[in-house]
Amino acid sequence: MSVLETISEKLGITEPWVEQGGVHWLEPGTVNVRDLARTMNDVKARFVTITAYQLPKDEGFRLEYHWDIDGLLMGFPFQLAGNSIESIYDLCEAVDWIEREIHEGFTVEFTGREYEPLQLRPGAKLGVNLREEVTK
Amino acid sequence: MSYKIPMGPYHPGLEEPYKLDMICEGETVQDVNLKIGFNFRGIEHLAETRNYIQVIALMERVCGICSNVHTLTLCQAMEQLTNLNPPPRAKYIRTIVAELERLHSHVLWAGIAAKLMGFKTMFMTCFELREKVMDILQAISGNRVNYAMNCIGGVNRNIADPAAILVMVEALEKEMVKKVIPIFTTSSTARSRCAGVGVLTQEKAISCGVVGPTARASGLPQDMRRAAPYAAYAELDFDVPVQPEGDVRARLLVRALEIMESCKILRQALAKIPPGEVQAGDGKFNFTTGTATSRIEGPRGEVIYSVSWKQGSRTPARVHVRTPTFANMPSVRWMMQGARLADTPLIQASIDPCYSCTDR
Repeated sequence: MSVLETISEKLGITEPWVEQGGVHWLEPGTVNVRDLARTMNDVKARFVTITAYQLPKDEGFRLEYHWDIDGLLMGFPFQLAGNSIESIYDLCEAVDWIEREIHEGFTVEFTGREYEPLQLRPGAKLGVNLREEVTK
Repeated sequence: MSYKIPMGPYHPGLEEPYKLDMICEGETVQDVNLKIGFNFRGIEHLAETRNYIQVIALMERVCGICSNVHTLTLCQAMEQLTNLNPPPRAKYIRTIVAELERLHSHVLWAGIAAKLMGFKTMFMTCFELREKVMDILQAISGNRVNYAMNCIGGVNRNIADPAAILVMVEALEKEMVKKVIPIFTTSSTARSRCAGVGVLTQEKAISCGVVGPTARASGLPQDMRRAAPYAAYAELDFDVPVQPEGDVRARLLVRALEIMESCKILRQALAKIPPGEVQAGDGKFNFTTGTATSRIEGPRGEVIYSVSWKQGSRTPARVHVRTPTFANMPSVRWMMQGARLADTPLIQASIDPCYSCTDR
């Protein structure tokens, strides 16, 4: 069984992996991001990054979580209806700075963790990467 | 009694503006809090306002040392979105410039590390050698910092006379073997300042998700050139140096050995470079809607770009950059716990931090 099949089985996802744009994508469906992080720990995957997208109008955000196993890059997109998602910091230490950066840049709340300012200086506002901030 | 010592954002022991708040007991560091963002430029957001030509020039300015890796990673991602495959000669030229950049970056780091060890003679030697690498880069690209080599579908400049570049590389390699490598691998000064200092255990390296020489010096054999080859790396023979100790000396040794591997790659690439075109396509680009991700092994480790585009648009919808220092810097906290205060400038420098990249 390949590592991708193992991950699908552990997550209970029957949807196929799709290789596109240099990444093996898997739609997480109803899988929680914390269960995904636990599975990635089980298969000894290395956390790479999270890419945040602000969706048009009031559609919220999409966060793409990336892990790597021996050069195989995997991607898991999560659609946020609002602006919050559970933090995986306690399960994956490597997400600390990127969760803080996305929180500061996009005002996404990673629940279940505390933040200290990473890039913000005293008096600065959250949301520097939000489109409406630029158009003001 | 514990007390807090702030180092930075402007401090003689730091090369760039960031801040370490150190909690000390006597001369021993108990804990460290890192702060970045003093020069944050919002380049990712700015990229969304630049067209497909301008965005390459913009991302080249993410970093002043590894500028080429940023354009290479970006162009590889954009090539996926435009279905362009660079010609073989262009892939070799990309490899050659990437390895020259790694050489000058590693030698620059070696010089700074030597200065922080109190080894000023070595600092001067390293910077003299680095100039010779810069001369080669200038001979190829006409530039010494931002080389402007990469474009969508290939490279902007050909290497007209690879044999002449090969002569320069061989002369450089001789000096590296004669001067830099022996001093860093055998000198008692380097050993006494670096051995057992700033240890990052393999377990902690995995937990922090560190990359590049920092990971390889903690026993993790990860290297994008080997794991997910790009450019011409699949056709070239090289080793990935790994040291298990996780201390500053291991990070020094890994980079010293990588200097030799870079020379080996350069010799092969210059000898094997195939003839032909250096750009694919006709200069007109049709981007498809979607996201493309590209990774390369920069001098400090894995660089990743995620680029999103909408068909018909001249500007990207999103460009996300994860730089190696962004992945490596949090691990400095664990390297410094229990360290002597006097060793902290060298420990933080041992990951070869780049805050230009981090404050992108």
